[in-house]
Amino acid sequence: MGGRKKTLLGMAALMLLTAPLAAQSWAAEGPGTVELGSLANYYSPVTFDHAMHTGVAASCADCHHHTTGLAPTNPSCARCHKAGEQTSSVACKSCHSDQRFSAENLAKIEGNPQLYHKGKPGLKGAYHQKCLGCHTTMGGPTGCQDCHTRNDKGDAFFNSGKYAPAPSASAGHEGGH
Amino acid sequence: MKKLNRRSFLKGGLAGGAAIAAVGTSKQAAAGTHNFGGYPDSMGVLVDLTKCVGCRTCEAACNKEQGLPVPDKPFDDPSVFEEKREGGLPRRTSEKAYTVVQKYDVPGREHPLFRKVQCNHCNEPACLTSCFVNAYKKTPEGAVIYDKTVCVGCRTCMVACPFYIPAYSYSSPTNPVIKKCIMCYDTRLKFGRPPACVEACPQEVMTFGKRKDLLKLAHQRISEKPDAYIDHVYGETEVGGTAWMYLSDVPFEKIGYDTHLGKEPIISYVKEFLGMVPMVLTIWPALFTGFHLLSNRKDALKNEDNKS
Amino acid sequence: MNSLKSQGFAPVVSHLKKDGSEWTVKEKIMLGLSPKEYWAVQRRNPFNWVLWVIYAVGLPILVGRFIFGLGWVTHSSYDYPWGLFLGWGLFTMVPLSASGFMMGTTVELFGRKDFKPIERLGLLNGLLGYLFAVMFLQVDLGQPWRLIYPMFVSLGPAAVLFLVAWHVATYLSCQVAELVPAFSEWMGFPKAKKFIKSIVLGLTIAGIILSTLHQGALGALFTYAPGKVHPLWYSSPFQWLHFFVSAVFAGLSMLIVVSTLTKWFMRWRCDENYLNNLSKLTLGLAKGASMALITYLVIKIIGIAHDNNWAYLLTGWGQWYMFEILVGVILPLIFYTMAVRNSNASLARFAAILAVFGIALNRLNTALIAFNWQLYREIPHWRELVIVITVYATYIVVYRAVLARMPILYTWKEKK
Repeated sequence: MGGRKKTLLGMAALMLLTAPLAAQSWAAEGPGTVELGSLANYYSPVTFDHAMHTGVAASCADCHHHTTGLAPTNPSCARCHKAGEQTSSVACKSCHSDQRFSAENLAKIEGNPQLYHKGKPGLKGAYHQKCLGCHTTMGGPTGCQDCHTRNDKGDAFFNSGKYAPAPSASAGHEGGH
Repeated sequence: MKKLNRRSFLKGGLAGGAAIAAVGTSKQAAAGTHNFGGYPDSMGVLVDLTKCVGCRTCEAACNKEQGLPVPDKPFDDPSVFEEKREGGLPRRTSEKAYTVVQKYDVPGREHPLFRKVQCNHCNEPACLTSCFVNAYKKTPEGAVIYDKTVCVGCRTCMVACPFYIPAYSYSSPTNPVIKKCIMCYDTRLKFGRPPACVEACPQEVMTFGKRKDLLKLAHQRISEKPDAYIDHVYGETEVGGTAWMYLSDVPFEKIGYDTHLGKEPIISYVKEFLGMVPMVLTIWPALFTGFHLLSNRKDALKNEDNKS
Repeated sequence: MNSLKSQGFAPVVSHLKKDGSEWTVKEKIMLGLSPKEYWAVQRRNPFNWVLWVIYAVGLPILVGRFIFGLGWVTHSSYDYPWGLFLGWGLFTMVPLSASGFMMGTTVELFGRKDFKPIERLGLLNGLLGYLFAVMFLQVDLGQPWRLIYPMFVSLGPAAVLFLVAWHVATYLSCQVAELVPAFSEWMGFPKAKKFIKSIVLGLTIAGIILSTLHQGALGALFTYAPGKVHPLWYSSPFQWLHFFVSAVFAGLSMLIVVSTLTKWFMRWRCDENYLNNLSKLTLGLAKGASMALITYLVIKIIGIAHDNNWAYLLTGWGQWYMFEILVGVILPLIFYTMAVRNSNASLARFAAILAVFGIALNRLNTALIAFNWQLYREIPHWRELVIVITVYATYIVVYRAVLARMPILYTWKEKK
């Protein structure tokens, strides 16, 4: 082989070898912020600081399970997912249904005997269990309004704020025991 | 005494028998050892107490879905957890609240345990078996619902419920009725939709599905994380099994659950008497007629002697 | 009235006045006195002054219960749905009214004609007791206007209360029928009396069947709450038997108590047949009651043995239980036995008071005091107590009114 060809081959090899590393470092950035608003009802959408979380998470798999192509660290999960299968979308809502308990979704779960994760939480549950799960152990916002402010509809729903009931002297004395 | 001749005996017996036949409708099938166990495809709810953070969104959702009165305090007010009723007991369901969340400070547990309380929709409900106007119904979907148009207000169901769930609207002079969770049957369950509290819960503490699937899920959760759960699904067998079942990381007796309820539905304790009813109705007439004839033997003999 | 009699007043005992003319119904209601005399007697009676006070306080509160709802007269407890209206009015008054079927059975079925002088008092005690138990029920029910629902609108036949409802309704009819002879004598309807006499055996047997079942059923109601009643007062297989057997001596003892009260306070109304036989009959009732008491004591012990609840006797609740058994069962048993042996009617009367107290204590324990034993104790609302006193006072008023008029304590002299 000629000298020039050798250099080209060497560069190609080097690029091939470093490609995964490059891919890794690109994926570690991801979006700066993500607007999580598909479930917004009583609260405003959540402006999620993705960039900050990539700094505090040990691995993408901490939140995205195996979907970014990394093997999960939890040995229970790694039992089956040690290959770290990458999926086309890593967004939570692509796997966690926002209609978790609809008759349709329940039928889908029941009708799939191969499905192992029959107890996979819906989108709202996935968000809160994942976020609050980490925040309670590692320190982070845990109050409802720390992450999403309640809107007027929410205030009415909770009978709070301007919808709060007038304090009543007889409260608690009309039975209730 | 008037001579007991056949005619007067038959007249008396017939009159008595007619009276008894009219009330002989309490005949019960003899107790079998086979319990109902619920309809095969009925729904249920698995409540995973390890996930509840005490936000009370479920209480707010129930309040709105069931059109309940404005609460005494906002639903985001955590001071309700400190309210104690008589005997230092925690808050319970009331005529204004079909579900409440209780807070338990557990020594050694970093955060308090929160427990959601509502009707457990038993497979063989005590309220239903005790109701003499048939106001309760266990629907095939799994909910135990109540018909307020026939309720007389005897409140036996409140005595019977081992979980102390039914409340009564004592405040109403003209239409007091039982108040309890109906699993959102009228507005959701009969259309295949989950109850409002299940849908509202941000932490997905509650999983809605077929009861038989939920049991599998519950045991799967326990076996996958044996250190995270007590190895018991409360409601799996208690009082014949309930549609609402619970997982916990704290022993159930420490967080307000009655763990001495046994596996038999409440009706099992009543069946022994109910079985006696047709026995008495059948045996007593002959027995006491016999007593009467035997005790009047002397008079009867004397009358015969007088006649001859 | 007693003092009037000592002054020569002769109470109404037949259709005819001294001059041979017939009493009118109004005159019979006025006890043969002129209205002026009648009301003067009522005003002089100190017991009536007590009644006025009771009604002055109690009637507004009773009416208020229906205007403002149960929440106004109770603590609106969800943990303790039943209070004194049922605890006293139903669970205590019904066994004390068991004298109806006891006397009917004794005289008509077993042919013990020697008990005839007291038979009608036993029947009346039964009828009024059940009638007022239903009154108490109507006060307690959330929607008393729906009382007939379990019979005609929506039936729940699997429930014990269904049986109670049907039986009490039918049994009340039986008891009314059994008292028709007394009423028809007083009013002058001989055909009614004749008809009842022809079916009296059937009525009596129906009465025994119905009483066995509903006395037992009242006990069986508590088997719906196996964990809520303290184990010493609870027995899943035997609860109904405990309630039924105790009803036997409850009815007999209440009859002794009431007959004693008539002897003391309504002597003017009692005829010689009644008064001369009363002590002997009291001892006869005492015999029956003592047999029921010893039976009850043994089946209560069997109940403890069956569930192996001996250890509970050593607790505070155990001491309370033993107090109830001692004062309500053992002492009456001993005194009744001694009374019969020594022909001491007064001792039997004292035993009867203890037995009645014991029944009340047992029923109140089962329904209220030892109920929810693992929770907290609930003291009923004071308005509940006032209403109970008011309705019970009405029961006494009606009782007295009937005894003063109808041939219960005296024999009616039929016109020839």
